[in-house]
Amino acid sequence: MTVSVIVPVRDGARYLAELLDAARAQEPDEILVIDSGSRDGSVEIARAGGARVIEIDPQDFAHGRTRNFAAEQATGDVLAFLTQDATPAPGWLAAHLAALELDPRVGVSFGPHLPRPDTSPMIARELTEFFASFAPDGEPALQGPGDEPFLSNVNACYRRACWEEIRFRDVAYSEDQAFGRDALAAGWLKVYAPGAGVLHAHDYGPVEFARRYFDEYRGLRETTGHLEPVAPRESLSYVKVQVAGDRRWLAEQGVGGIDAARWTARSVVHHGGRRVFSALGSRADRLPPAVRGAISLEGRTDGAGGDHDAVAVEAPPEPTGRVIPPKHDAHPLDATLRVLRDGPAPLLPAAPETAERDRLRIAIVIPHFREGSGGHRTICTLVRGLEARGHVCSLWLHDPAGIHQAEADSVVRAHVDEWFGPVAAPVYKGFEHWHGADVVVATGWQTVHPALLLDQVRARAYLVQDHEPEFYATSADRLFAEDTYHRGFYVIAASPWLRDLVRSRYGADGTAFELGVDHEIYGMDPGVPRRDDTIVFYGRGATPRRATELGWLALSELRRRRDVRVVAYGDSAPNWEQPFPYEFLGVVAPTELASLYRRATAGLVLSLTNYSLIPQEMMACGLPVVDLRGGCSEAMFGENGPVELANADPVAIADALERLLDDQAEWDRRSAAGLSWAAERTWDAAVDAVEQGLRESLRVRAR
Amino acid sequence: MSTGADLSTEAQLRARIAELEAELVEQAARAEAAVAAAQRRSYWPDLLQLDFEAIMRHPVLRFAVLVPLKVRGAGRRLRWYWQRARGG
Repeated sequence: MTVSVIVPVRDGARYLAELLDAARAQEPDEILVIDSGSRDGSVEIARAGGARVIEIDPQDFAHGRTRNFAAEQATGDVLAFLTQDATPAPGWLAAHLAALELDPRVGVSFGPHLPRPDTSPMIARELTEFFASFAPDGEPALQGPGDEPFLSNVNACYRRACWEEIRFRDVAYSEDQAFGRDALAAGWLKVYAPGAGVLHAHDYGPVEFARRYFDEYRGLRETTGHLEPVAPRESLSYVKVQVAGDRRWLAEQGVGGIDAARWTARSVVHHGGRRVFSALGSRADRLPPAVRGAISLEGRTDGAGGDHDAVAVEAPPEPTGRVIPPKHDAHPLDATLRVLRDGPAPLLPAAPETAERDRLRIAIVIPHFREGSGGHRTICTLVRGLEARGHVCSLWLHDPAGIHQAEADSVVRAHVDEWFGPVAAPVYKGFEHWHGADVVVATGWQTVHPALLLDQVRARAYLVQDHEPEFYATSADRLFAEDTYHRGFYVIAASPWLRDLVRSRYGADGTAFELGVDHEIYGMDPGVPRRDDTIVFYGRGATPRRATELGWLALSELRRRRDVRVVAYGDSAPNWEQPFPYEFLGVVAPTELASLYRRATAGLVLSLTNYSLIPQEMMACGLPVVDLRGGCSEAMFGENGPVELANADPVAIADALERLLDDQAEWDRRSAAGLSWAAERTWDAAVDAVEQGLRESLRVRAR
Repeated sequence: MSTGADLSTEAQLRARIAELEAELVEQAARAEAAVAAAQRRSYWPDLLQLDFEAIMRHPVLRFAVLVPLKVRGAGRRLRWYWQRARGG
């Protein structure tokens, strides 16, 4: 292979003769100097040194453009670039050629920059450590796609075919870094050749260094889009680490005493200035041109005017991301998409007699669940009631996220039986075995769209246990949840308040039932002594509508006033943030809860949406309850009813709890009202109402 | 205007539909009950991920299943004969 050594020069007299002598000693086929207006005799030095000199107008100079021009003028198969202050060390060219021959795909090699004897310790250490990192074992290191794209035309050697394919970008700075990235992206390999060293160090004074960093990072921003962060704390830490490294280097070089102190001070200024001016350089476009020009070592103002003017700066390369493989065959909300795109499955005609038939086929679609889910417990209680009335029920688990993926149908069914009470119905995972029903019942917003896609169905009902859009912040989930009330399901709402809400807000037709109490579990036991110091708090923090932070604040206020025993349950893990000790029960079985309620003084259950089973289960055990004023609780219980209502204010809630702790007459009144309330709430009545709702969904279809 | 015959036909059709729907419900009830029973029976094998078909194909393991069944069957027959012999 023939070799052309190429050196762009402007006023490079200081090292040019030394450079040319060292290069000539390594016997290249050609040495080409491109001079852009030197006035220090560089042209004469170059010619005397045996180089072919081509002079260009300084206005035409740009690092990328000029090197492309030089490569076009050169004759060699290999193009070895040097800067005017980089003196090849012995063996430089041979090491580059050996690197290129490692693999035919090697397009470029680069070598280390070695410190000159008078180089400052900061630069000497940095150069040595930086280049050593490319090849810790000291052997040539092949680099490919994904590897560090670093490349420097201070000392780089190009296969002509690689340059012809890639070419330097026409940029004012960092054309070499851009080439490195482009070459690797195009499939070329790059080699770090430890033996191809050049003596080179820009050992400027502190101010010049700062200006140099300004130019370098401006160039990086222009070519790669890199934005050096402004991070004062990290910069301080960086400076400390670098100064410590420089001091260690000085010690290794045998430098001590006053010299070490002097270099330490220079090190602080050097590294601190680098952080400041590199960040500034990244943001050069925000500075006035005059300021840019004053800071720039090359006097660049960019834009109109300046020494390197009207340079075509290419946009940074298009960013490419990591390819993420698909995890599922379909999006978890695929049913929603299919309904919106294709519409629901058609319903079968329903004769008027269907609604009056003794036994109905009822398919209930349920979302995924975990132990302690009150919503699923209510669903299964209703299913048991419907089965007792002779209806044929089946449960269909819609689980697009795969929560139950590892469980067989039989295992899912066993969990349903164990956690929510036994049902006769089978449990199907998914709809592969779907076989139709008189009524399909959706039980949560996520189940509505899948239910709409089920065929062989006469009517659709929607068991609405809460206003689910309120579970979400403004979001796509909220929009999808709201959409479900517009889908023509006959709503069976878990309170008159909820039914009125969906009717007034969404125009959805429907009926209501009231949650029942399992009186076999929850009831009074006169033989059980009740404490006068215990608050039971339903603190399920995983459910935001439970306003648990409000409850904890109220309890904190109450504890500030007096010593009370707080027992919290409902969550799977304790809340560690409270400033007072409390007892944590976790998720508790119903019989244990009833025992707790019978012994406690007051219950604290907050609900920001529909009321839940818990207040009335507490009331059935004679335990007065504090809940929030407004919304469903006030609509259901009334201001002076069985529940002590408080404003959504921790002080007001603490006041309400304290009234129950201190005022025996008030306690007695609330407890008696609660017992009376709970006595009228049975699951039989709830199932009756739900059954009527299911029959009505068929009648509505038949009209 | 519907004639008496039309009304009679309609009533018959409705009755027939009602019969068929009742049959469908009965069939569904039996099917769901069978599926539920199968799910109850297969709980432990599913939980332990036992593949009985693979076990019965295995030349040695199948005997671990068959031998106890045979012994239990023989024991039941013996018990029956003994009770008959005693006049029970």
